[in-house]
Amino acid sequence: MSLLRRLTAQVPTVVLARRNVARAKTRSVLAVLAIVIGVVAIGGIGVGGEAFKQDQLSAYENFGGTATVSPVFYEDQPELRTFDEQEIQQISQAADSAAVVPIRRANGLIRGPDGDTIIFASALGIDDPSRFYETEAGEIPPNFERVAVVGAAFAESNGVSVGDQVRVGGEVDESFRVAGIIRQQGNGDPLSADRSVFIPNTVFDRDGYDEVILQANVQVAGIESVSESVRSQMNQRQDRVRVTTSASRQEQQEQQFEIINQFLLGISAISLLVAAVTIANTMLMSAIEREGEIGVLRAVGYSKFAVVRLLVAESTLLGVVGVAIGAPVALGIGAVANQLLVGNPLAFTATGLSYIGVGVVFGVLTALVGGLYPAWRAANKRPVEALG
Amino acid sequence: MSSEEPTDSSSADGEPPVTDGGTESDSGVDAPATGGFDQKATNTVDPEIPDDSILRGRNVVKEYETGDQIVRALKGIGFGIAPGDFVAVVGPSGSGKSTLLNLLGLLDVPTRGEVTLEGTDVAEFDDAERTSRRKEVIGFVFQSFYLIPTLTAVENVEMPRMLDRTPKQTRQRATELLERVGLGDRLDHYPDELSGGQKQRVAIARSLINDPELLLADEPTGNLDRDTGDQILDLFDELREEEGVAVVTVTHDDYVAEAADRVVNLIDGELRESGDHAHHGDSDGTHQNTADGGEPGGSVGTDGGGGETE
Repeated sequence: MSLLRRLTAQVPTVVLARRNVARAKTRSVLAVLAIVIGVVAIGGIGVGGEAFKQDQLSAYENFGGTATVSPVFYEDQPELRTFDEQEIQQISQAADSAAVVPIRRANGLIRGPDGDTIIFASALGIDDPSRFYETEAGEIPPNFERVAVVGAAFAESNGVSVGDQVRVGGEVDESFRVAGIIRQQGNGDPLSADRSVFIPNTVFDRDGYDEVILQANVQVAGIESVSESVRSQMNQRQDRVRVTTSASRQEQQEQQFEIINQFLLGISAISLLVAAVTIANTMLMSAIEREGEIGVLRAVGYSKFAVVRLLVAESTLLGVVGVAIGAPVALGIGAVANQLLVGNPLAFTATGLSYIGVGVVFGVLTALVGGLYPAWRAANKRPVEALG
Repeated sequence: MSSEEPTDSSSADGEPPVTDGGTESDSGVDAPATGGFDQKATNTVDPEIPDDSILRGRNVVKEYETGDQIVRALKGIGFGIAPGDFVAVVGPSGSGKSTLLNLLGLLDVPTRGEVTLEGTDVAEFDDAERTSRRKEVIGFVFQSFYLIPTLTAVENVEMPRMLDRTPKQTRQRATELLERVGLGDRLDHYPDELSGGQKQRVAIARSLINDPELLLADEPTGNLDRDTGDQILDLFDELREEEGVAVVTVTHDDYVAEAADRVVNLIDGELRESGDHAHHGDSDGTHQNTADGGEPGGSVGTDGGGGETE
């Protein structure tokens, strides 16, 4: 007796199940396909979503130690809408070692090179964009004056390239030559650089600043302590500033991703539910076709439990095969998503892989559960009727 | 019972309402009648049934519910099967043969009366016990073989013991049995590579894998030519002589009936002396001339059916 036969003889149920599954090939292939789709949906969406999240959150790397300070104001105190020079000084003192980057937001319309109004974009005054950004085209001149740099999405959707003129209306009311296009940043950027036009602060004809970006010198003090210092310093008499760290923004955004991801996973879970129905249907057909055969099993001394075990082993086997195909496919999809979004096909996160794990476990469980009812039904069929 | 009237009228029309049963009858009339058979059966049958019976039945009644009708497939029969017996049960379609075979095979329990397996009433077994007793005592040979197409000949023979975790002994025994039925050279053939006679021989080998005391064969030669049928019958004789296996077969085939020690006519759910029921008109009825139900060692009794209407 060969080793293989000795081994398989230990699990005769599995041997019988394997042969029975192989019997109705088309039907088994379709049932397996249902499981594959379910596992790929869960695993692929999980891993792909993680890659997307990594991509989006990578923007926070540039802003890792930053916080946004915005003014708190009330209807009856319009003069508090912006920070004046004195307040900027106070913030700088409170921030101590951290750099303070004051920002002005220009009102008024932005017009592209051909004179069309560009909506869903904002113009921001900043002293030196190169503190946070690198360009994908052109450059940010060391001395940032009289030119603009624009975000990647802004440039792409409006056909703006380096050298074009962009006009900022309203209080600024001036045209700027585009010196550079900033590399894509994603949603994590507190200044939404992708959809912005950066212009020098000097072109504004006013003193007040709309917000301040704090950038911690992490060797001296982390952004949390800097933020706390600014908060306590500025909010002594009344609430004057609201300080939001990029970390807390990141957290918020991660939560949003989480919700979206879970929604998508919920949808893919439905595909596994459909797979369960498919498996149940497959097994019911199979059990009905083999009624006589199952009756013989019962007649020659197989217990109900043995029959249930055999049929559930068959359905579970369908699940195992489906998972064995589906999991590598999901990994492949994840690798492609990683390559496209993160630039490294192997940039799987533990969470992403765990989704594939979930797909695998539920793929097998689904098939097992899908087989239970048909198995129970077949086992409880009286052999007399089955053989009749 | 309101269902009695339609039942009776359909009976009067001479139309059996259901294929597998005999005639239906109303329980109101039958209850006392059954009591009567009970005594009759006990009195007449018991002395005839040898003490070493494997299976014994007394006043066995089997009823099925079909819609609101009750079909009485067996109407109070008695039987006993001793080691080495070869009993042929003949009778027209719908006479209750299948029902009887199911009761003998512990696949079913009687509605009334008792079937005892080596002294124990089978009604006392739960499903699991019945299944395991069935496995130990009874071998089945089915009319359409019911070999499992995904298993080779030797695996089909092993099948009843496949879950026993004694693969070596099982393989050895299965191989011996196939050699014995002349299929030593076909061990690894799948059923669709075997002829009808070979399949039937595999099925017989399978029925013997657990060394049964009783072999139940449903039309064992039904799908076979005469020569092959002869081989099967010779095999039965061999098994009875050498191992004392009792064989009960349900058959339409006179040829099988002729080979049997005893022939039992089952007509309308009752066991009858052979020849009594030629007037039933079923073509099978004419095959029963060979039956000799009153053989001395014979253990099949019948109530005589005096109280039954037809």
